[in-house]
Amino acid sequence: CTADLDITPNDDQTTLSEDLFTNETAYKQVLAGIYANLALTGTDGAGSSNLKNIDAGTSQFGRVLLYVQSLSADEMIWSYENDPGTREIQRNLWTAQNPLLLGMFSRAHLSIALANNFLRETTDAKLDARNVSTTVRNEMPAYRAEARLMRAMSYYYMMDIFGKANFSTEDDALNSQPPAYDRAQLFEFVESELKAIDTDLIASRQNQYGRADKSVAYMILAKMYLNAEVYINESRYTDCVSYCEKIINGGYSLATNYLHNFMADNNTNSATNEVIFPIVSDGLTTQNYGPTTVMINGSVGSIEVNGTEVGVSAGGWGGALRVRKQLANLFNSSFANDTRNTIISSGRSIEITDISDKDSGYILQKYSNATSTGTFGVDQTFVDTDFPLFRLADVYLMYAEAHLRGGGGSLTTAVGYINALRTRANNSNTITSGELTLDFILDERGRELHWEAHRRQDLIRYKKFTGGNYNWVWKGNGSNGISLPAHFNVYPIPTASMAANPNLTQNTGY
Amino acid sequence: TVTEQSTSIPLPGVNVVIKNTTTGTATDFDGNYQIEAKKGDVILFSYVGYQPMEIIYSGQKTLNIQLKEDAAQLDEIVVIGYGSTTKKDATGSVESITSEDFTRGNIVTPENLLSGRVAGVSINTSGSPGSGSEIRIRGGSSINASNNPLIIIDGLPIDNNGVNGSNGILATINPNDIDSFSVLKDASATAIYGSRASNGVIIIVTKKGKATFSATYDAQYSFGELTDRIGVFSGDEFRQLIASQPVNGSSLNESLLGTASTDWQDEIFRNTVSSQHNISMQGSLFKAIPTRFSFGTTNQEGALLTSNFERRNLGLALNPSFFDSHLKINLNANLAFEDNRFGDTGQIGAALGYDPTQPVYDPSSPFGGYYQHRNGSLLSNGTTNPVASLLQRNNYGDANRSYGNLNFEYKFHFIPELKAVLNLGYDETESKTIDYTSTLVATNDPVKGNSSFGTQKRTNKSFDGYLNYSKEFGDVRTELMTGYSYQKFTNNGGNTGNRRDPASFPSTFADPDVVLIGFFGRANISLLDKYLLTVTYRRDGTSRFSEKNRWGNFPAAALAWNISDEDFLKDSNTISNLKLRVGYGITGQQDISGNNDIFLNRYRGGDQNSQYQFGNAVIESLIASEINPDLKWEETSTIEFGVDYGLFDKVTGSLNFFQKNSTDLLFTASVADGTNFSNSIIQNIGELQIQGVEFSVNTDIVKKEDLNINFNFNATFLKREIKELALGQDVRTGGIAGGTGNNIQILREGEAPNSFSVFKQLYDTSGNPIEGAYVDLNGDDIINDNDRYLKENPNADVILGFQSNINYKNLDLSFNLRANIGNYAYNNVNSSRAQYERILDNSVLANIPTSILNTNFQRTSDVIISDIYLEDASFLKMDNITLGYTFNNVSKTLKSIRLWGGIQNVFTITNYSGLDPEVFGGIDNLIYPRPRTVLAGANFKF
Repeated sequence: CTADLDITPNDDQTTLSEDLFTNETAYKQVLAGIYANLALTGTDGAGSSNLKNIDAGTSQFGRVLLYVQSLSADEMIWSYENDPGTREIQRNLWTAQNPLLLGMFSRAHLSIALANNFLRETTDAKLDARNVSTTVRNEMPAYRAEARLMRAMSYYYMMDIFGKANFSTEDDALNSQPPAYDRAQLFEFVESELKAIDTDLIASRQNQYGRADKSVAYMILAKMYLNAEVYINESRYTDCVSYCEKIINGGYSLATNYLHNFMADNNTNSATNEVIFPIVSDGLTTQNYGPTTVMINGSVGSIEVNGTEVGVSAGGWGGALRVRKQLANLFNSSFANDTRNTIISSGRSIEITDISDKDSGYILQKYSNATSTGTFGVDQTFVDTDFPLFRLADVYLMYAEAHLRGGGGSLTTAVGYINALRTRANNSNTITSGELTLDFILDERGRELHWEAHRRQDLIRYKKFTGGNYNWVWKGNGSNGISLPAHFNVYPIPTASMAANPNLTQNTGY
Repeated sequence: TVTEQSTSIPLPGVNVVIKNTTTGTATDFDGNYQIEAKKGDVILFSYVGYQPMEIIYSGQKTLNIQLKEDAAQLDEIVVIGYGSTTKKDATGSVESITSEDFTRGNIVTPENLLSGRVAGVSINTSGSPGSGSEIRIRGGSSINASNNPLIIIDGLPIDNNGVNGSNGILATINPNDIDSFSVLKDASATAIYGSRASNGVIIIVTKKGKATFSATYDAQYSFGELTDRIGVFSGDEFRQLIASQPVNGSSLNESLLGTASTDWQDEIFRNTVSSQHNISMQGSLFKAIPTRFSFGTTNQEGALLTSNFERRNLGLALNPSFFDSHLKINLNANLAFEDNRFGDTGQIGAALGYDPTQPVYDPSSPFGGYYQHRNGSLLSNGTTNPVASLLQRNNYGDANRSYGNLNFEYKFHFIPELKAVLNLGYDETESKTIDYTSTLVATNDPVKGNSSFGTQKRTNKSFDGYLNYSKEFGDVRTELMTGYSYQKFTNNGGNTGNRRDPASFPSTFADPDVVLIGFFGRANISLLDKYLLTVTYRRDGTSRFSEKNRWGNFPAAALAWNISDEDFLKDSNTISNLKLRVGYGITGQQDISGNNDIFLNRYRGGDQNSQYQFGNAVIESLIASEINPDLKWEETSTIEFGVDYGLFDKVTGSLNFFQKNSTDLLFTASVADGTNFSNSIIQNIGELQIQGVEFSVNTDIVKKEDLNINFNFNATFLKREIKELALGQDVRTGGIAGGTGNNIQILREGEAPNSFSVFKQLYDTSGNPIEGAYVDLNGDDIINDNDRYLKENPNADVILGFQSNINYKNLDLSFNLRANIGNYAYNNVNSSRAQYERILDNSVLANIPTSILNTNFQRTSDVIISDIYLEDASFLKMDNITLGYTFNNVSKTLKSIRLWGGIQNVFTITNYSGLDPEVFGGIDNLIYPRPRTVLAGANFKF
């Protein structure tokens, strides 16, 4: 009876692909799997991971994105430097062996693989063969466009962070060694892809919460155009302005309260008017060690023990996160009542001379597991707070910056957007058009968007990340900051990723 | 009647044939036989293990024969796969250990009967009650795949995976039921088990029924005490330390100190009392069926508070023969009931670190009257009281196992040279686990503690059958064997989750079935009893690989030459035995637990905590699972040269040289990102080489009527080296405590597996280590990962075992010693705890090891990778010493009583600074300590 060697899975969580698609709801669930890769690290709880050689908790998409974009810059300090990789990221000492960089590279590429797989499984030929109903087939163009959008988004982040990616589409075989695309190739692909799917994507704010619509594609395009000088050495500010306008015309409005964007009910409160794309988190059904869980537990102070205020255990993670001096200084005395200023400084020094001393340095309370109505999330560790990956305030700031950089549009409109953010923040110090400068915008971005995984990209665009013209504390491992070599504008390709694909070569300087 | 010469016990099953005819019979259970013979016929009596006897029939009515045991060990029966052979005819590296050679002492689980006894076999058992062991034969031939040997009980290969709630696969087996072990080491011996034999095979033979009545009763009591503690500060020392020692530049808050002086290690550890009782009866049931029945109970207290192991075993062996012994049936049925209470070993670390100035109890505490760091009714951050954590939790596991097999052996009536054997085996373990904590447990969480219930069931069904043909053609003896084997394993279970927590959900799991099918054959040819050839072949199929890769072929061959039978040595007084052996073979590996269906195109849905949300409604996301349809067998080829020697009829032993090369290693390695559903999948890449020398000697120094002294010494030299890795790339491994995801070991081409990868510590002029200062080995002025260097590895270069038995009149004394040389251990206790910043445990104070005084280091993260924590952990241990006295012929029914006493864990000599140099995997992160145990027992024979 050698036929017994043909086994099938016994576990009810696992299904063979040949059986899976006999059930038509599977298409939407597989699509949800692509989105879920941004929130979850595995299928079996927050500690499980479908990536290897990296701790499950630290391979979560939003979390590693926060590490590479915010922790590496002038806004954040992680106290537990014995968590591998964190020391090298926040002191700008990283090497190609850094596990967090492997997590970033591998997690984003997993999104690409999952999207490619979805596209392979939903070709007309396959749908015909499976006799898929008209109802599902009618939804398929949007599903496929969303899969391509998620894939393009991954390539966008790879372009920004590493300057390179393994390039594969649904036409490539599994376990192959794909070509490596550089920034220019990725820029071209992402741009054309996002434009190609525009007709199939669901209109702005018309899709289900948690799924992406046209505005998400516009947002990525706007960001690419804003940074095009960095990526491809071309000025594309006009395109940036026009895509910002497209988003703004999509029907978004600012949340009534700045902090609504960062609360446990930001999937239902006024933030839903502002947030363009969230990474979902739920204390019960979507548990993860993602950016909101980390920032809410991590920002609980070692002295203050103020976790219950933000809906987690009193001690949280014992003071894991603090604020670098440069961020604290953005909120000088004129921002004392600005709702964007959530810094807690009482009894603390602004300086962090010893990173492991959790009592030094300021802390902040931007994210919360409390709701806008005063109740709390269901769990005391895993928060309900979704991570606002893209939101309207960023678009306002991009519009203003692109305008100043020669992208057209209207100065009055730009100033109006900035003042709308200030007014929303209960800050009466509105600005005049004369005060709208590029340096002002960088600072205002810091005040509005800190700890939202944008900062490194902003500083690079302002030529302040590497070199020595702007040194923040612990930059380059100096307690007052020292200059960084220019090759630090992109991260090194992780050793393991490079070894598995000989077509990938190391970035210059590493 | 045919009887045994020395004891006059009747011998059943003795072959009685008239020479040069086909007329023959066998003795019955009482040793009686009947045969028709003519005057002048030569009647041949033969029985394995006894010297054959030829009698010229002279017409008498009864002919009583006494057979003499074959003194020469050479004819000792050695159980090999699908059959047996004699030591003289064996061509492979096989060692047989029978009950009189077993290691003595506090034997709770069967593998410890072998501890230190066999060259090339290492057994590492933790101190927790009833705990399983890490068994390695020749170091293990895999890196990512299993390194466990195949264990076979009476023909039933058992699953190497245990169930929740049980201490392991051997913990349910009563060591008292075991008659012998055969350890198959080289490929020529193991290849008959093909795909599962790369890490060696241990065949366990249980005791059988006998025709004559006998009974035994064994009782054993043991008293255990831990002899050592990890040095931490006492209450007063700690108060002084807090007053004087600044941490990170600021002085500590003395108001956090208490007034008590508590030794928390003393509070969580205890002296233990344990007992074992075994009854066994052998005899003939209905005067026809040789039967053995056994009953055993074991109750072992753990040194860690609350931990306890209890086991009850029932064993039944029925061994009848029919049709003049043409048909033999062996039934072996066992029931085992294992009840465990597990003590949370995490509390050992909590006790080390708990503030020694605080008391155990605090009447005002809302947490069950135990002291906790708190602010009113609110718990402060930091470690919780370890005594409370142990006593307020009941983590209970209950495993019931039934296993056994039914074996038919039929010798064909018309072709007595042909034998058919059929073996049906069954093994099922069902377990229940209950994890219950008091609702007064220390927490600020609205969910108070845990209450969960789990079940698990593993089954293992085996069927095999083979034909065996043996015949002599003049000077040539041949034995041919061919057979088929089928085995299927299942595993499933579930857990309720925490029933007090509305956010916790029940879950179930079911592993894919594992099915293994094999076809095998073996030919043994012996010429003039001097030149021996064995050829084996097995073809195995596994359900773990896709259809195109699932079959593998595993051939082996061996030659042996009994030189001592050659004329020029035959009469030597010095060399009583000399045999040269050479063997070569290929074995396989397919045991990749957790990847049983990785070749299939699968999707996995998220569990109830791992869903996604569309439109604020939960949707179960489906994520494609990693896939490798090309996975195939890992292959190990072994070449071996061996010498078996005997000197002066007193000294025997062997010397083996071997080299194993495992290729196509089942190894988890990177795949190009974006081309699979993980960044790394199990693949066939890499090569591991193991070279070794094994030496053993057994000597009867004195063998007299009143005094017998013998000793056994064995030595193993092992060198393991990675020849090739996936993509030539280093793999970090060996996770350590003290930060998430830190690794201290590495896999690198050209090095031993799991070599330590550390920073080279810098010292000041007076020889004190400088905190966080390391040698910049690559000279780039930056100290980063590229400056870590490789130093030593956890495996011993040399493993020695020594055992001696001394009998003087009725007095017996035995002891054994074990030594490992060249094994290194990373002291993770010191590396993650002995830094001043560890005194601050969130907002409370914590104790640290006094070894801090050697380094005065401040910060863990600066020093955790330093080579200062890597230590030579070579050791010499006396595992046990036992003294006994036997009273013979006490009464008509009571044949003997042996009273004995002993000590387990007598001493350890080592330079290692931690608690015990014998750690698992070279990383010492607070093992469950091994107590010193005083034993007393009595053994009654009826």
